[in-house]
Amino acid sequence: MKNISNPENAVLRLNDVCKNFGGVVAADEICLEMYPGEVFGLIGPNGAGKTTLLNLITGIYMPDRGTVVLGNKNISKQPTYKRARAGIARTFQHPRLLGRCDIKTNIYMGVDLANKRKKKSGQVDNELAVLMKTAGLETVNLKDTVDKLSYGQQKLLEIIRAILCEPSVMLLDEPAAGLNNRETEYVGALIQAAVGKNIAVLLIEHAMDFVMSICDRITVLNFGHQIMTGTPKEVQENEAVIKAYLGGGNHAGR
Amino acid sequence: MTALVEGLKSIKKPFLITILIVLILGSGLPFVTSSYMLRVLNIAMIAYLCVLSVYVLLGMCGQNSFAQAGLWGVGAYLTANMTLKLGVSSVPAMIVAIAGTALLAFILGFAFFRLRQYYFTFATIGLMTILNGLFMNWTPVTGGALGISDIPPFQLFGFTADNETAKFFIIFLVCLIVNVIIKVLFHSPLGRSFMAIRDNELAADCLGVNSLLTKSIAFAISGALCGAAGALYAFLSGYLSYQTFTYQQSTMYLIMIMLGGTISPAGAIIGTLIISLLQEWVRPLQNYMQFIYGIGIMILMIIQPEGILGGGKALYEKYIKPRKRSPKAE
Repeated sequence: MKNISNPENAVLRLNDVCKNFGGVVAADEICLEMYPGEVFGLIGPNGAGKTTLLNLITGIYMPDRGTVVLGNKNISKQPTYKRARAGIARTFQHPRLLGRCDIKTNIYMGVDLANKRKKKSGQVDNELAVLMKTAGLETVNLKDTVDKLSYGQQKLLEIIRAILCEPSVMLLDEPAAGLNNRETEYVGALIQAAVGKNIAVLLIEHAMDFVMSICDRITVLNFGHQIMTGTPKEVQENEAVIKAYLGGGNHAGR
Repeated sequence: MTALVEGLKSIKKPFLITILIVLILGSGLPFVTSSYMLRVLNIAMIAYLCVLSVYVLLGMCGQNSFAQAGLWGVGAYLTANMTLKLGVSSVPAMIVAIAGTALLAFILGFAFFRLRQYYFTFATIGLMTILNGLFMNWTPVTGGALGISDIPPFQLFGFTADNETAKFFIIFLVCLIVNVIIKVLFHSPLGRSFMAIRDNELAADCLGVNSLLTKSIAFAISGALCGAAGALYAFLSGYLSYQTFTYQQSTMYLIMIMLGGTISPAGAIIGTLIISLLQEWVRPLQNYMQFIYGIGIMILMIIQPEGILGGGKALYEKYIKPRKRSPKAE
């Protein structure tokens, strides 16, 4: 695994991030760091605050307390678009593509962001072709509007768009939810492609087999609290996790 | 700069050929129509520029404005003041009109776009009312209720566009140039960020689009188009009255683009042509015009909310495209 021992190499660091909505604790002193090329799982029951944490990282919500540090820059106070330009890309639980635009325009929004960061105008046709093939989308006509794609294909396209942003951190919010087995494999392949580009991937997912097989480390949340962070094996064997997740069952597999 | 290059690359042969055909056919028009009809066409082309400004703002960026006729007026009065009172020649006056209107729109946009969606639209209704009030009452600048008359026609290198045909060619040329600019804009990163805001503002945010600035730029570009239209109108008509730049006129631009369809500039052409010619052909029914528009819009919105172009596209995709793709399907 990749330089995880040395905290100096962390690409994204959350220090004691807190967020309350009224009396509801959505994030309670969350601390985690992510390293380049790492797949970091974020699991927990519904309402555990996983998506809230993503929104805190992308700046859709501002943290009440604590800091979000990207590289060595504190981005806690920055608006969403600045964080995106600094190198945070994300997908949504329900894909947010540009519904009236064609597929190419959708993809090029990601490329534009990468170009903005590098201050150049690059073409990515080769890279795009490789990614489309990885996602099983090579037969898709780039001039079609996105509503011609199935739900699964839309989610895959959104991941491709995020990779083409050339981010340092990519946040995936339940990329495999609602997808069939083959599409889930494509999601895995895309995550591997991102890892190959040294992108740190944060993955929220409920499909346990998928999470356990692909993640290097996992954080478990419950009601905004961070129960533990560890390797998939450690998580599966942890009593507190099993209790939170399965309500007192014997094993964390599905 | 790189963005501009990318946009320019998008200009392909079919588009150039279309422009060329339009150029040739259009150039023939003055020789086959009466001078009255030519006047109608000139006015229609100026309206077309304003409708294109709605296309950029509403069709591309998803923001609806009722102030376009007001911005059109700003361009016109700027031109009139520059040429009449300061004695500036035509081209610089037109540039000042375009830049001035764009700047005004940008500043106002930066303030207004702190409001979202229809709250922005409400703000533009206020702007339209204020602008019309200024045109009517700010006598030293706008001539007040009497308006401004005797604005000199367009002049360049000793050539004066004082007849209808010459005016036609100038307006026609500006329309063509603007169309090329819009095409470049559509395929540039800036145009894409407009469309991202239109389709999903949160996604646009997460893709690094500064939505406040980008929307203000869209409003500024639409202001520039209105400014150009205003300058051309001042040169064409030679007389400006506050009664031209009204809220009703802004609504008319919206009707034109809704009728044609907001998905491409072609919708703006179709909508502008139909409404402008309709106004001429059914002149005997003038008194019922408002009634016809009202009923027409309601029917259109129920049957085909995407306009004529949207309806045509849907028909094409339903009946013609499947046959093209799989000829052996049956």
